[in-house]
Amino acid sequence: MIKSRSSLIFAWVLLAPAIIYVLVIVAWPLVETFRLSFTDASLSRTTNYVGDKNYTKIFNNTFLTVILRTFAWTFFSVLLKMIIGTFGAVLLNSAVPGRHLFRILTMPPWIVPMAIGIFMWGWMYNGQFGMISGLLQRMGIVDGPVAFLAYGSSAFWATIVTDVWIGVPMVTIYFLAAIQSIPKDLYEAAWTDGASRWMRFRRITLPLMAPAIITMSMLSLIATFNSFDIIWILTQGGPSGSTTTMIIDTYQTAIGSKKYGEGAARAVVICIFLSLFCIAYFRVTRRLAALEKA
Amino acid sequence: MKPVFRKTLIGAALACSTALPALAEDISWIYCGDKIDPVHEKYIKEWEAKNDGWTVTPEVVGWGQCQDKATTLAAAGSPAAMAYVGSRTLKEFSKNDLIVPVPMTDEEKAAYYPHIVDTVTFGGTQWGVPIAFSTKAFYWNKDLFKAAGLDPEKPPTTWAEEIADAKAIKEKTGIAGYGLPAKTFDNTMHQFLHWVYTNNGTVIDDAGNITLDSPQNLAALQAYKDITPYSVEGATAYEQNEIRAIFLDGKAGMIQASVGAANLLKDTKINWGVANLPTGPDAKGPGTLLITDSLAIFKGSGVEDKAIEFAKFITSPEVQEAYEGGGLAGLTPLRPGPAVDAMLAANPYWKPFIDGIEYGGPEPLLTDYKGLQNAMIEMVQSVVTGAAEPQAALTKAAKALEEYK
Repeated sequence: MIKSRSSLIFAWVLLAPAIIYVLVIVAWPLVETFRLSFTDASLSRTTNYVGDKNYTKIFNNTFLTVILRTFAWTFFSVLLKMIIGTFGAVLLNSAVPGRHLFRILTMPPWIVPMAIGIFMWGWMYNGQFGMISGLLQRMGIVDGPVAFLAYGSSAFWATIVTDVWIGVPMVTIYFLAAIQSIPKDLYEAAWTDGASRWMRFRRITLPLMAPAIITMSMLSLIATFNSFDIIWILTQGGPSGSTTTMIIDTYQTAIGSKKYGEGAARAVVICIFLSLFCIAYFRVTRRLAALEKA
Repeated sequence: MKPVFRKTLIGAALACSTALPALAEDISWIYCGDKIDPVHEKYIKEWEAKNDGWTVTPEVVGWGQCQDKATTLAAAGSPAAMAYVGSRTLKEFSKNDLIVPVPMTDEEKAAYYPHIVDTVTFGGTQWGVPIAFSTKAFYWNKDLFKAAGLDPEKPPTTWAEEIADAKAIKEKTGIAGYGLPAKTFDNTMHQFLHWVYTNNGTVIDDAGNITLDSPQNLAALQAYKDITPYSVEGATAYEQNEIRAIFLDGKAGMIQASVGAANLLKDTKINWGVANLPTGPDAKGPGTLLITDSLAIFKGSGVEDKAIEFAKFITSPEVQEAYEGGGLAGLTPLRPGPAVDAMLAANPYWKPFIDGIEYGGPEPLLTDYKGLQNAMIEMVQSVVTGAAEPQAALTKAAKALEEYK
């Protein structure tokens, strides 16, 4: 009994640093944000409780549009990352000369500091000095400069392309590892049976990669939903709010306009969505683990 | 002495010694930029020599973070004694009880160019001491004017002429006639305010009423709409400095910019000229937006009075004149005087930057400055992209400003 009690105390002592860390770094800011969301906190020295006023204020057509835009931005970005990542991994796994070099060449978007990469894309999208506009003009596709960040729809897609460029290397490398874990004899048997390259991909590679694709999709979904740097550096949410996602909107409210209470309410909404994604992620991974066991 | 007791005593002594500098009479100064200007360094030493027991400790903070740092420290209850801030933020700081007033005497007010004091005044008192000043003028590319069949020595003086010249350049050379910045960026609002103040418009009156929805401002927004087809393609992708880069590259016929552009143009092969900003139909004379940065004195530092004294010293005519460096620093002088006369004689291109002051206007002082900025940017972008007609955009923005004033 004495031994078990001392073991218990010892276990808690070992756990204490981690628990304190989580409480201070994660739990306390979350609770504080939740509390702030019910106040009119601003630069003012006095803060009053305002009930659910911040929540009723933000749930208007503008905020609902921002939510829908965030989901659309996240969906297309994750979808493109998964498609390009999958085909990239298949190509990198192919027995082609110099494949090690190609594997190295996929890394720069991941290695280059994110802000530098984004600024580089900002210049490429520039209508007057940008490479893309210049190439299109030389090829005769357009007859004048095209400023990709000037219009709502093109700015929306331009920010997605940049996010995909940054996110694809990680997805590709993860998928490559998944492909390499598929037993070779499955391909050999299929090849012996006369299965085409496409059939082998559809019937062997894709099904056996599915757990990796699902896991990576969920992780990418969480990261992309919260993506701030790309949009902020390229467009600051413009033009006319066409690239304003929930995280940009929250930043503009809380930090820009210094309406900390309203900003906190927006942050709580983001937190709820992300929590739902996390729950879905854990459920999926648990189910995948159960399937693997079975 | 027991070791524990001895260690406690040593600890207490160390704690007291580290606390001592905080007790010294020190004025902390959040200083925006990359380094302290040598002129300020020199005069800080001079002031410290005259004020025994007092020190001034500037903390250099990059422009990007400077404003946020001063605000965060003040909001957290541990303010710097003094900070370099955009004058537009003074009302917000004041309304939130973060800064103290810095009243000026009539003599002090009279020393400045007209309207400078307005940029730091509301509620009948001053809330900061102006330290830096910027005005804009009109630049044109003479070679492009010539190529378009226009008189290269005759810049437009009215909006109608400006739009007609932009059209001629665009149609006859294929190059953008005008550089209109409309990116989601603060200077998109600044550029529009040049048009407001060159047509006798206002955004908010002395009584605090929003006056944005006026015939003068509608004419300005309509002029924006009219000049857009002849401007750099994709105006909403560019801010003021990016438009300046396009002008420096010879790809825009006309821009509105600060004196910094003149300094850069000297290093190019562009044949350029600079003149007063063209005016609208209701203008009383040449105008411009008057932007100042100020020294704000924060409440709760414990050295407010001495900080005010230092702020007035470091912006006094003699020090300020040295800081402005006869125009070499790219700052428009805050006060008229022999030094300005000498500057104008040596560099005549400075004249339009001074001429515009008389009918210029300040950045509107609203409690939620970011709200104002976002509403104005949205208004400009909606007109430039054709998403809204000028009157509808103006009315919508004016309504939004009621919430932010």
